[in-house]
Amino acid sequence: MITQDSVQESQNNKKAKQNIEQRKAIPNRYRFIYPEFLPDPDPKYRNLLREKLERMDMLARRTHVAIPEFYVGSVLAVTYSEPHAPGKVNKFVGICIERKGSGLRATCVLRNMVNNQGIEVIYELYDPAIQKIECLRLERRLDSHLRYLRDAPAEYSTFPFDMEPEYLLEGASVPVNEIKVQLNPRPWLEKWERQELKGITELQLPERRIRKAKAAATPWEKYDLMKKYRETIPEEDQNEIFNEVHTKLHEVEITRHRQKHKRAFVRPQKTG
Amino acid sequence: MNQANVENLVNKLRYNVKPRRKFGNSDGPEGRLRKFQKTLTALIKYERLELNYRRADETRGYVDQLIFEAIRHGPEHKETMDLANFWILEKQLMHKLFKVLVPRYQNYTTSFTKLHKAPNIYPTIHYDRAILELRGNIYPSVEQYNQYEQNLLHNLLLNAAKKEFRMEKYKEIADNIKQ
Amino acid sequence: MLSPFAMLNVASRNISTSTPASQIIKLSRLRVVDNSEIGKKAMMEGRPPRCIHVYNKIGVGYIGDRILVAIRGEKKKGILVGLKQQQAPKVPKFDTNNLVLIDDNGTPLGTRIQVPIPHILRTKMKEKTHSKGADYTKLIAIASRFV
Repeated sequence: MITQDSVQESQNNKKAKQNIEQRKAIPNRYRFIYPEFLPDPDPKYRNLLREKLERMDMLARRTHVAIPEFYVGSVLAVTYSEPHAPGKVNKFVGICIERKGSGLRATCVLRNMVNNQGIEVIYELYDPAIQKIECLRLERRLDSHLRYLRDAPAEYSTFPFDMEPEYLLEGASVPVNEIKVQLNPRPWLEKWERQELKGITELQLPERRIRKAKAAATPWEKYDLMKKYRETIPEEDQNEIFNEVHTKLHEVEITRHRQKHKRAFVRPQKTG
Repeated sequence: MNQANVENLVNKLRYNVKPRRKFGNSDGPEGRLRKFQKTLTALIKYERLELNYRRADETRGYVDQLIFEAIRHGPEHKETMDLANFWILEKQLMHKLFKVLVPRYQNYTTSFTKLHKAPNIYPTIHYDRAILELRGNIYPSVEQYNQYEQNLLHNLLLNAAKKEFRMEKYKEIADNIKQ
Repeated sequence: MLSPFAMLNVASRNISTSTPASQIIKLSRLRVVDNSEIGKKAMMEGRPPRCIHVYNKIGVGYIGDRILVAIRGEKKKGILVGLKQQQAPKVPKFDTNNLVLIDDNGTPLGTRIQVPIPHILRTKMKEKTHSKGADYTKLIAIASRFV
């Protein structure tokens, strides 16, 4: 019995060591950059084979179309084939207000104001009709979604269609835009006061609404460990998934990096 | 389809996690957690409990996750301390969590708890009962090894040997009668 | 004193039927986005047109559908050119329910549309136009911008 235990223990130690090594190889930021590689945590929708096939398809798509790193709050430009347009190509620029879905169904919602008319378009990131996705301004916001821009003045979601891409310095971390949005007066589309949003200024609310928000608050939810567990993918599973796609993603990243350098490099012109 | 929430990292639970169970409670989800608070505190105090199966299985995840958090961040981490403060109702047990349980489970590769099915008490209790225990406790094992189990290999061999011996004896007796 | 049911009826006249689910049904308020005289006046007054009929068999208006509206005491036809409702991927969702007024032949009453029009409307309008029937493609011609 004792020998068996010791053997098992040594094996386990080996496993633990392997885990640590894997963790070193996979950058911690991957789960933020590529959240769609993680499957839906709901066990109803889990299917290991389907997830694996989807990941392969996603990688294949990524080698053709560069899907850049972006977050909620980044400004994106999407060029896609539009069979209804005269040139069969269309481009939309807007701020990403929401990221949803996992696997091949991952979507982002872009919002912009055109001629003082708020417009939102949902794009599926792995849609074969998409020709190019550019990140014009890479930054994050304080909240996990920016749906409240629908109830904010036009200036917060207006971006010119001919916006120039802004490049970040080499190795710089993604800046967090700590802007506080002043919302329009009520009525609103959602009950923003109940969502614990950090990116909006203090809301002017009547007494009754404050009382109701307080009654509907769920302060115990941050202690609900199993709720947290059930809405995420555990670290070990994340490592396994990213181990599988890491090399390919890294390759794609490097090639894109090289192209970017080419773009940034300006050939000196002869003068005189 | 949802996206996984990547803000906080959690460790994988080392048992088969069932979907979320509902417990009838007039206080809603808050009252639900209060039930688990009591069970969790009692489990850390006594290390072995007998209770209803559903409640035991549901509490198990909370116990494991709390110990995982304690191992991951330690007592200096403010949020972990807050968590422990919420979950452990008797405050002297906080020391037990960080000073006894964390060192005990540091190198475990199995779940920190063990769940056994227990017989329900006829006719008073109709629910499935269970025994929930922390691994590595001082009590004798719940699972008792029955060495007289028919299908165990050594018992099979012994039975075969006995039978053979008996057959030989019968043969001898038969030979003696003939002579 | 009115009966409770009558009171409910009176109260319901002042509520918006275009809830955030935003289906265009009968009595939904809409926004006229062309520069037709009647449309401009109605919008300026703060009494935007109301849908009184949807010309399809579902009773719910989707993008490109023809509807009948009550505007300044008159009945006019119009085409839905932008909806608040959740749309399919790559189809824009607008912050308001936009309407362009047309007459029976499909000719728009205005001469210009001030807001962007979704590209998908080109195909939809072409599909709805039949030779000898109303010609809806004129609406596309007066659009200022497509998204």
